[in-house]
Amino acid sequence: MTFRDRTTNVDALRSWRGDVEADYIYTTGVAGERFFTELRDTGRILAAHCEACERTYLPPRMYCEKCLGPLSDWRPVRGPATVEAVTIASVDAHGNRPPEPEVWAVLRWRGIHGGLVHRLAVPPKQAKPGLKVHPVLRPAGSRVGNITDILYFAP
Amino acid sequence: MRVGIVGVGVVPFRTVTPEYSWKEIMYEAAQRAYADAGVDPRADVGSFVTCAEDYWEGFGIFDEFTPDQLGAVLRPACTVTGDGIHGLAQAMMQIQAGLADVVVVEAHSKVSDLLTYAGVVHHAFDPIWNKPLGGHPYYVAGLEMDAYLRASRVGEKACAAVVAKNRQNALTNPRAAHGSKVTPEDVLASPPISAPLKDLDVAPLADTSIVLVLAAESRARKLAANPVWIRGVGWSSDSPWLETRSWTTAAYAAMAGKMAYAQAKIRNPAKEVEVAEIDDKFSYKEPQHLEALGLSKKGSTANAISRGDFDIGAKLPVNPSGGSIGCGNVIEASGLHRVAEVVLQLRGEAGQNQVDHPRTGLAASWRGIPTATGAVAVLGVGR
Ligand SMILES: [Zn+2]
Repeated sequence: MTFRDRTTNVDALRSWRGDVEADYIYTTGVAGERFFTELRDTGRILAAHCEACERTYLPPRMYCEKCLGPLSDWRPVRGPATVEAVTIASVDAHGNRPPEPEVWAVLRWRGIHGGLVHRLAVPPKQAKPGLKVHPVLRPAGSRVGNITDILYFAP
Repeated sequence: MRVGIVGVGVVPFRTVTPEYSWKEIMYEAAQRAYADAGVDPRADVGSFVTCAEDYWEGFGIFDEFTPDQLGAVLRPACTVTGDGIHGLAQAMMQIQAGLADVVVVEAHSKVSDLLTYAGVVHHAFDPIWNKPLGGHPYYVAGLEMDAYLRASRVGEKACAAVVAKNRQNALTNPRAAHGSKVTPEDVLASPPISAPLKDLDVAPLADTSIVLVLAAESRARKLAANPVWIRGVGWSSDSPWLETRSWTTAAYAAMAGKMAYAQAKIRNPAKEVEVAEIDDKFSYKEPQHLEALGLSKKGSTANAISRGDFDIGAKLPVNPSGGSIGCGNVIEASGLHRVAEVVLQLRGEAGQNQVDHPRTGLAASWRGIPTATGAVAVLGVGR
């Protein structure tokens, strides 16, 4: 070791506890505003289409990541979502093990580039790729215009 | 112009480092590297590059806090907010551009000071589309493992064998913090985190600091009997959106590898690379990265693992150091750790973990959940 003296007495070790005050608002932006307003008011899931690349993005954004052109063609997704990957989370945000594990999924729609990552309301044993599911929303009137307006996906 | 690595300083990994501050750990790594290279930082080093991210550190504008402990006060210094190999590339380019003859790169982890690791990882999630949904951030690793295993025909057993190999390799690496006798059965029986991801599939955290000294070719030859040359570097990022990125392949690693291989004139990596230290922050990442980097053929990786093709003593030893699973996950220092271990291998200084006379080695990093960013360095000795 480059330090000549190393502490061997643990009582002599010092540290102090601190935290970081860091609160923000997160601006949803043009594309997010469009998506969340539509979700709140009509319950529809909007994607953004790039004519040049024939790609329809979900989550929608105001530019195409392939050609970098601006996007303004908004289209609702059609039909059920298909589960592409699943995981059964046994640990919650704080590292505790809740009695019921949570099921998460990567969700894809036909003809859509992207999809959503969200919770799945099916028993862990039945959570399998290929499953067709639909979003379950908060009741109209109680939606707030963010991603938690989708409660989960279910068959 | 070739750039050589002429000094390596690695502070042995530890699970906690209660007696030293993060600055003192950096000082220690620097002292080791300067002694190894035989340079005086106050006189011989032209520029300093550190790699860090404020939220890991717990305070802001990290780059302001780096000069004193490295010997960089009133000298050119900057911080790369990325993995250690991003910093290595930056340092190499500064030398090639003629800005400096000798450049120092540093990356570290004092993650044991961070009381809310999962919270900081979660803070890296998209604040509009993903973070409001909550959950432990490792659900993303669970989803990726599920997608990759299904697409690749690599099973949970093969991943468990990777854990057993890397923990075993770490037992004889004096720099490793998490060496242990673990059987694949132990891994399979360990508690689920986010199935199919289990407790022992996850690389445990560790503290360290790593400093490398780089020099231009003519200077490197004077400083070191056998400099390790950086033959190629590459880095790449996939779409940051969880929703639009590739879940089955490590596309970022494939692109970063392609860039580094082109510079190193490597056409057949599986034949030409003789030792590899590649990201294994989760067990499934090792086979996924092996395939993306062209070191293992898709579809045959599970068999190769069970045959022991990536063990020390086999044709392509992978993570002979123990990797992140055996040494410890040292967050943004992980890439520089892999480079340091490859340098020691190419010098023939890897002790009991020494691979038989490698001349070409590869280090590949990934920035961890929820990123889709990786960097690659191809290193070599001799002509
Ligand atoms: Zn486009």
